[in-house]
Amino acid sequence: MTAPRVAPSLHGVLRIIGWVGLGLIAVAVSLSDFLATAPADATAVGPLLAAPTEVFRFGTDILGRDMFSETLHGLADTIRSALPGALTTLFAGALFGFVAARMPRPFALGLRGFMGIMAAIPALLLAILMIGLTARGWAGIAAGLSAAPIAFVRAFERAQRQERAPHSAYARATGISAGTLMRRDLVYEFTDTFLSSAARALAAVTIVLSTVSFLGFGAVPPHRDLGLMIAAAKPYLLHAWWTAAFPAAALVVVILFARLAAGLDEGERA
Amino acid sequence: MSEPRTILTVSELGVERAGANELSGLSFSLAAGESLTVLGDASSGKDALIRVLAGHGGRDDVLTGTIGYGDGAALPAAKRAKPPVRMVYLAGAAASPLNPHASVLSQLTQILARRLDTPRSSAREELRIALERFPDAPVFADLDRKPGAFTAPELTWALMATAIAQAPDLLIADHAFADLSPAAIKAAVEALRAEQRRIGFALIYGARGLKTASYLRGRMIVLRQGRVVEEGSFDKLASGQSHAYTRTLFKSLTKPTDAAAPRSATRGEPLLQVQGLDLRSPKDKGPKPRDGISFELRRGASLALIGEEGSGRRALVRALLGMERFAGGRVVMDQVDLSILSAAMSSRLRRRIAFITGADDALDPRMTLWDTVDEPLRAHLHLPRDLIAGHRETALKRVGLASYDGRQPVAELSPYDKRRLQIARAIVGAPFLAVIDEPLRGLDAFAQSIMIELLEDFRRQEGPAFVVITADVGVAQVLAEDALFLKDRKVVERGALREILKNPKDEETRRLIDAANL
Repeated sequence: MTAPRVAPSLHGVLRIIGWVGLGLIAVAVSLSDFLATAPADATAVGPLLAAPTEVFRFGTDILGRDMFSETLHGLADTIRSALPGALTTLFAGALFGFVAARMPRPFALGLRGFMGIMAAIPALLLAILMIGLTARGWAGIAAGLSAAPIAFVRAFERAQRQERAPHSAYARATGISAGTLMRRDLVYEFTDTFLSSAARALAAVTIVLSTVSFLGFGAVPPHRDLGLMIAAAKPYLLHAWWTAAFPAAALVVVILFARLAAGLDEGERA
Repeated sequence: MSEPRTILTVSELGVERAGANELSGLSFSLAAGESLTVLGDASSGKDALIRVLAGHGGRDDVLTGTIGYGDGAALPAAKRAKPPVRMVYLAGAAASPLNPHASVLSQLTQILARRLDTPRSSAREELRIALERFPDAPVFADLDRKPGAFTAPELTWALMATAIAQAPDLLIADHAFADLSPAAIKAAVEALRAEQRRIGFALIYGARGLKTASYLRGRMIVLRQGRVVEEGSFDKLASGQSHAYTRTLFKSLTKPTDAAAPRSATRGEPLLQVQGLDLRSPKDKGPKPRDGISFELRRGASLALIGEEGSGRRALVRALLGMERFAGGRVVMDQVDLSILSAAMSSRLRRRIAFITGADDALDPRMTLWDTVDEPLRAHLHLPRDLIAGHRETALKRVGLASYDGRQPVAELSPYDKRRLQIARAIVGAPFLAVIDEPLRGLDAFAQSIMIELLEDFRRQEGPAFVVITADVGVAQVLAEDALFLKDRKVVERGALREILKNPKDEETRRLIDAANL
C-alpha cells in the first residue's frame, strides 16, 4: 500500500517556476559571449545615449555601449561573483550552524551567541567591512560571509529542534550514538533544505554584492556587474532611463527567481 | 409505561466522497436515553456517519437515504436541514479541539454562549454548574489556563461539562475518551451515563477500540468498509460473534482473568537488578523516602509497570536505562552497574534494548521504511548490505509490511503501520530487553488485536525480557507475568500479576483492576 500522490501545492509550483527561471539565467550566463552582440565594455558600438530601437534593443549608454550586451555581461559577472558567495553562506552558515548545534554545550552556545550578534549587524555593513579588510576581488566571498550569520542561526535552531525531537530520544534510548544521529540529521538537512537554502543564499548574496558594487566597494572596472552599471547610470537616469532600468530589471529577475526557488521563504537578508 | 421518544431515524444512508463509497445502506433508529456505539477503523465509514450527523460534511459528500429527527418527517440526507432536536458534538481531548493559545475557560464559555444563545456571564455560570456535577472534573477557577496546562482526562471532563450544559437531545461523541486510561474511561462513562439518565439524551459514540463500548454497553454497530458487519447489544456480541472480523475485534478486548495459564518463558540469569532506587532528581533536597524501589528482572521474564500518567512509570524506565540520573540506589544491567558508566558506555549497553511505544513520533518521520529497520544493523553491527537486506525482509514479512514501498517515508504511514514498523526494527536488533510503552494506544480494535499477536510472537521467537508500561491491567496480563503497581513515584504493590489480581491489597491496585474488569 502506498500513500496517494498529493497534487503539488502552490508553493511547489512556485519552486518549480523559480528553478526553471534560475536554469534559464544559468544558460544565459554561460552563453553570454555568444548571445551578446558586442564584447564586454566595447565602447562606441552605436550612438551615445540612444533610446531602445530594433538595432539596439536596450539602447546605448553615454559611451555608446550596447546596453543589451552590457546587461548580459553584467548579469554574468554578477552571477559568477555571487555563486562562490552563496556557497560560502551555505558552508560557513547553514552547514556550520547545523554541526555547531551538536558541539559541546558551552562551545555551541558561545558560537550561537556570537553569530546572533553578527546577525544583528546589517549584512551590507559587514560586507563593506570585510572588503575593507581584504581586497575588492573578494567581494563575492565577503557578501557570502556577511549573509552567513543568519543562515547559521536558522540551521542551529533546526538542528536543536531535531535533537530535542521525541524520535531522537527514542533512538538514543536504543543505543543509537550521537554520531549516527548527527549523520542522519545531516543527510536529511542536505536533501530537505539544501536546495532552498542555496536559492535563499543566492538571493541574499546577489543583493549584498550588487549594493556593494553600487556604492563603489565591489566590482572593479573594466568588469562591470549589475550594481556598478546602475551606479554608472545615475547621472543620466532622468533623461536616459534605459541605462539603469535594464540592469535593474535583470537584478530583480535573478532575485525573484531565487526567492521563488526558495519557496518564498524569508531568510538571509541583505 | 409509554415508549421513549425516537430521537433519530437513519434510513439507507449512503455517503460518497471523491468517487469513493464511504458508507452505504446504513439504517438504524435511536430513542431517548439509548446508547449506540459505532465501531470501526478509519476506512469503515464510521467517521463519514459522524461527519454527516454532526453537520461537518462538506459539499464533497454525496449523500443518499433519509435522516429523521424527533417526531419530524424523515428528510433526504442530502438536504442538510437544521435538525429540530438539540444536537451536541463532543470531541475527545486527543483530537486537540481547542485553540492551544487561548484559555480553556474563554473558549468553552464562547462555545456555550453561542450554542445556548445567552450572554457570556450566563454561559460561565452554566459551565460552572455542569463542572460541579462531575467530582473528578477540574474546578471552574482552574479552567482559566491554556489547553496545554491540562491533562487529557481534565480536558475531557471540561469538554464533557460543556456538552452536558447544553442539555442535548442527541449527543454525538467522536472518540471522546480515546487515549484515556481504563480507569479514566470508566469514570467518564459512568458520569456520562448518569447524566444520560438525568437528561434522557440519546448517545452515539464513535469508537476505534472496544474499551469504551464495553463500559457503555448499549447497542453496537460494527462497520467495515462502509457496510454493517454485525449489530446488536454489546453483551450479545461479546458472548459470541458470528462474523470473523468481529471475532478479531473482540480479541483486542483484554481483560484480567485468573484462568490465564502461567507462562513458559525461560527465566535465565538476572538482567536487571534494582536496589533501593530513589526516583527523585539528584538536586532534590527533600526528605529521602524510607524505601527505594527494588526488584529483579531475569532474562526472558516480563514485568509490567502499571499506573496512571504521572505515577513514575516512565521515570523508572529512564532510570533503568541510565538515561537519567537519580537521587540514590543502584541499577545493575547485564552485570554492569550503570552508575559507574560514562554516557557513551551507557549508550553502548542500550544497543540491545528495543522500544515499542504508542507514541506516533517515536520514529523519525523523514526516514524511509527500509532505513528505519536497517539503522540498528548498520549503526551497531556494520553488516554488509545484502545481509542487512535479508534481515530486513524477514522482519518486515513477520509484521506484514513486506509489500509496502520501502522508500516510503515514515511520515506517510498510518499509526498502526508505524507501530508494526517499530516491532520490525526491534526484531532485527535481537534485543535482550524490550520496553513496551502503551503499545495499543490510539489504535482501532482490529489493529490492537494484531499488535497483541505480533508482540506475543516477538517475545516467543526472540525471547527478550519485557518491561511493559501501561495503565491497563488487561494489557499487562497479556504481555507480562509480574507487575509493579505505581502511584506518586512509589511502588504500592508488587508480585506475580495473577496473584495480585486474585487478592489486591492496595486501594490504587484495586481501582486499576476494577477499571479493567468487565
